[in-house]
Amino acid sequence: MIKFHPDPEQLSLYVQGGLTPVESLMVRAHCDYCDRCSKVVHEKTVLLGEKFASENVLAAETRAVHTSTNLSAIFDEIVKSPASNAVPPPKKMPTTVELDGRRFVLPRTLRKFISSVGNWSSLVGKVWQAPVKLGGAQIANLVYIGQHGEIPEHTHKGVETTLVLKGEFKDGINAYQPGDYIRMSGTDTHTPYTDSPQGCLIFSVLDQPLQFTCGIAKFINPFSAVYFR
Amino acid sequence: MLVGIPLEQSNSVVKPKDCAGEMSGYIVSIAENRCKRSFARIFSYFAPRLRSYALKQMGNEALAMELVQDTMSNVWQKAHLFNAEKGSPSTWIFTIARNIRFDMLRKLQNRKEDVCSDDLWPVLCEQTADANEASLDEQITLEQIGFMFESLPVKQKAVIEAIYIDGKSQQEVADELSIPLGTVKSRTRLALQRLKVMLNDHD
Repeated sequence: MIKFHPDPEQLSLYVQGGLTPVESLMVRAHCDYCDRCSKVVHEKTVLLGEKFASENVLAAETRAVHTSTNLSAIFDEIVKSPASNAVPPPKKMPTTVELDGRRFVLPRTLRKFISSVGNWSSLVGKVWQAPVKLGGAQIANLVYIGQHGEIPEHTHKGVETTLVLKGEFKDGINAYQPGDYIRMSGTDTHTPYTDSPQGCLIFSVLDQPLQFTCGIAKFINPFSAVYFR
Repeated sequence: MLVGIPLEQSNSVVKPKDCAGEMSGYIVSIAENRCKRSFARIFSYFAPRLRSYALKQMGNEALAMELVQDTMSNVWQKAHLFNAEKGSPSTWIFTIARNIRFDMLRKLQNRKEDVCSDDLWPVLCEQTADANEASLDEQITLEQIGFMFESLPVKQKAVIEAIYIDGKSQQEVADELSIPLGTVKSRTRLALQRLKVMLNDHD
């Protein structure tokens, strides 16, 4: 049961195309799991489409459009072009990532980026991460927390968006399951851990490095960029 | 002045919902016959509205016209990907425009992300149309639906037979029957939709 969703405002922006590419990717990947948000996205799209098409274009303006050299030139040029018959062969895309002999099936939206997943490295204790190159300034990682593994308590300098892909993790406040979408920023502090035997795989996107707030991890904080990039 | 584009009488009163069926018909006719008259009807309704949307979004006449042109080109060239069961012409054309705007802004902002509108909203991908077909394939065999298959219209049956029994490509079928590829695609889709409905009723 998915309990954590993007807020309605974010879904609206997503539909309008107003989120950044990576934010949009996270919302879409959440929708791969979440029928409720997929439905909301569909409804909002239909509404926007109707709004766009009912735009009260004045008759005068329409006539101007018809006589406008620009639009009629566009029309003439378009009808000269042939139908696009090039049917690209269906691409065989990988669907899983592997860590230590375990295979994890990724949601449809993230599969395109499987070839951009770097090597797994140990972060702390039973926590492993592999960078995912999305090409922008954001730092994206697949993070695997093994049973009884824990990510040291941290806050967020920027915004951290997390999507649970497999298994379950807890952070002392809530328990999160596949499909849960978590957005944390500024003052939020948490210590994600898991006690499930299969561990937990998450996809995390940060627009700034993490700030560790306690223990030995605090000591390595100045270098956290090294760990998280 | 455009030749062959009928001016709408009372343009501002026509609500997209009221003419969705009519507009769908035009798009199908573009897909099947490359019908310029149908395209002219779509163009004269949507181009001014696209321009208005684009001006608000891009705030610049040249970019707005680029958006209008790219969107309408896609409607003309990829009309066969329109599926009235999935949404109205308004929704379809809006999503095409929204995607083009998204990619134009990415380029303008010089964003380096390797995430484009196709990854987020696969409106114009063949895969979206194929997804249903593939899942239908997996669930049943042609023998099982033999009797349903017999009830298909002759033209649709011929196309399905050639593709699913003889294993020909859609292009080969189009060449053999001397019909446009778009027609093969729409017949295939219609036939599969019909079979799907029959299967649902069957259950």
